[in-house]
Amino acid sequence: MTTIAIPATAAGPARAGWFTQTGQVLRRWLIVTVRQVWGPVMSLVQPIIWILLFGQVFRSLGELPQFAPSAGSGTGGYIAYLVPGILMMTVLYSGAWAGTGYIDDINSGVMDQYLSSPIRRSAIITGQLTQQLIVNVVQSLVVLGIGWLGGARYPGGVGGLLVALGVATLLATIFCCASTAIALISRNQIALISLSQLIVLPATFLSTTMMPSALLPDWVAAVARWNPMTWAVELGRGGLSGEYPDAAWLQLAGLVALAALAFTWAVRSIRAYQRSI
Amino acid sequence: MPENTTPAIVAENLVKVYRGRGRKPGVRALDGLSFTVPEGRVFGLLGPNGAGKSTTTKILTTLSRPTSGTARVAGHDVAREADAVRAAIGYVSQGSSTDPILTALENLEIAGRMRGASPSDARARAKRLLDDFGLADAAARPVSTFSGGMRRRLDVAAALVHHPRVLFLDEPTTGLDPEARAAMWAEIRRLAAQDSLTVVLTTHYMEEADRLADELLIVNRGRAVVQGSPADLKAALHGDSVRVSLIEPDPAAVRAALARVGGLRDVVVEASGVDGVLAARTDDASAAVGAVIAALDAAGIRFGQVAASHPSLDDVYLHFVGHTFDPSTGSGTGGTGAGTGGTGSGTGGAPAATEGEAA
Repeated sequence: MTTIAIPATAAGPARAGWFTQTGQVLRRWLIVTVRQVWGPVMSLVQPIIWILLFGQVFRSLGELPQFAPSAGSGTGGYIAYLVPGILMMTVLYSGAWAGTGYIDDINSGVMDQYLSSPIRRSAIITGQLTQQLIVNVVQSLVVLGIGWLGGARYPGGVGGLLVALGVATLLATIFCCASTAIALISRNQIALISLSQLIVLPATFLSTTMMPSALLPDWVAAVARWNPMTWAVELGRGGLSGEYPDAAWLQLAGLVALAALAFTWAVRSIRAYQRSI
Repeated sequence: MPENTTPAIVAENLVKVYRGRGRKPGVRALDGLSFTVPEGRVFGLLGPNGAGKSTTTKILTTLSRPTSGTARVAGHDVAREADAVRAAIGYVSQGSSTDPILTALENLEIAGRMRGASPSDARARAKRLLDDFGLADAAARPVSTFSGGMRRRLDVAAALVHHPRVLFLDEPTTGLDPEARAAMWAEIRRLAAQDSLTVVLTTHYMEEADRLADELLIVNRGRAVVQGSPADLKAALHGDSVRVSLIEPDPAAVRAALARVGGLRDVVVEASGVDGVLAARTDDASAAVGAVIAALDAAGIRFGQVAASHPSLDDVYLHFVGHTFDPSTGSGTGGTGAGTGGTGSGTGGAPAATEGEAA
């Protein structure tokens, strides 16, 4: 029988750099994504139904002056107004599940393996986040494609599409990191999903996802103004239509700040998890 | 075996208190545990479930921080030089260390790359380990298709990708069938043949500790009970041990009956449900067995098997802890709360009368 270890000539392998570690965490999750592709596919069913249902049921809303091209819907009517909203909703619904992988890892023991290895905590978070953002971009492209088939047009052009995708990625970062942090704190799938669902619907309806601010009751409009979902939807709508909202830069800055905060929260949560073992 | 220059592990006065969560009370899992592990050996940590073995392992692998006390692993302090410790150890926890959706080869390759191996080195090492652990044929299969024994072997392989100096195996054969357990024992012995590797084996199986460990530490209620090689520990108990299985025993009556038998030491009577056991040690087993049978008969006490033997690790445990070791409940049939880390929560299940209650 041979021995297992080559006698330790060197002092063992050098510690992998942060990018290598992140890359290997990403590699693991991309393999999982490819082998379980039904997950991301299933989370596309809902937005597709919304686009088709809402787009049909509320079609006559497009006649209202509030949906005129100046309101940011371009010339596509209600469906063109709706698509950026559905795009961001997809991000929310998909991102809500982001933390479940961590709970699986905690329950199976893989997390213990990570935490007893010289792997940076931020690499664990970043690797999986990157996978989620990649999935998110693919889902966003599908939603935009469905919207186009449904009649929406994107006069903002390729640059505008890229802006919309970038904003969706920012929103995904916020939501995935928050989901991760909550997962690491609660360590309970049901709690995580319930809480996410509890947040997603109000976040959507208390924003300009479905309705322009002018058609919302005053109090809702006031809330919507400060809702990050509104910022993301209006920026995305601006990109697709080519007409950006007045507060675009402020909204973008707000989203970037929230993304940074959420990422920090997620990394801190993994450390807090370790302290609790 | 090289003469021990620096110990692989030095643990000093480790205390771990888990704060209560909600209505769960806090637990003092480790209560001043100190021990030293010589390099290049298989070191067994033996104790019932809840004795603090896993907590000890978690502290030594840097997963968990001690409430107080210090530990050095491979020469590095677990609290202040955690990354140096992490680079030097492999850890097989009670859970799995691999992603079930990935193949065995992918899991090992990724583990190697994360530890800093180049792509070609990681691949070569992964293949070598799969060969060594008899998993080469299953290399391209997702781990979810593996049997329990194969998964466990893969977990051990994954802990070895970076040539660790200290390998922690936390209950490596729990839940395995006898065949898979024998295979795992063979792997551990193979690893133990390497002078450069120290293996810390946590177990609640007496037989496993007896067969595999060069050096053994018995822990109970978060404290070290006794340390030594299995042979030395057994040799330290002079004479033979006598065990009688009792049927529906009344411990007080059994004790009274035995009071008239001379030459018995360390007499322990335990009752658990309808079963019981009488354990004692003696210098002259042939004389004692006859006297014990006669005394029990005379008192009308029903009993089954009577056995006399050289001391086993069970007897060592009994001698030092004061009640018999029961791996199934893991808490000892003494039911005194020993081995539950002081919570008393681990003793659930069958009601158990203790020697103390009976006396």
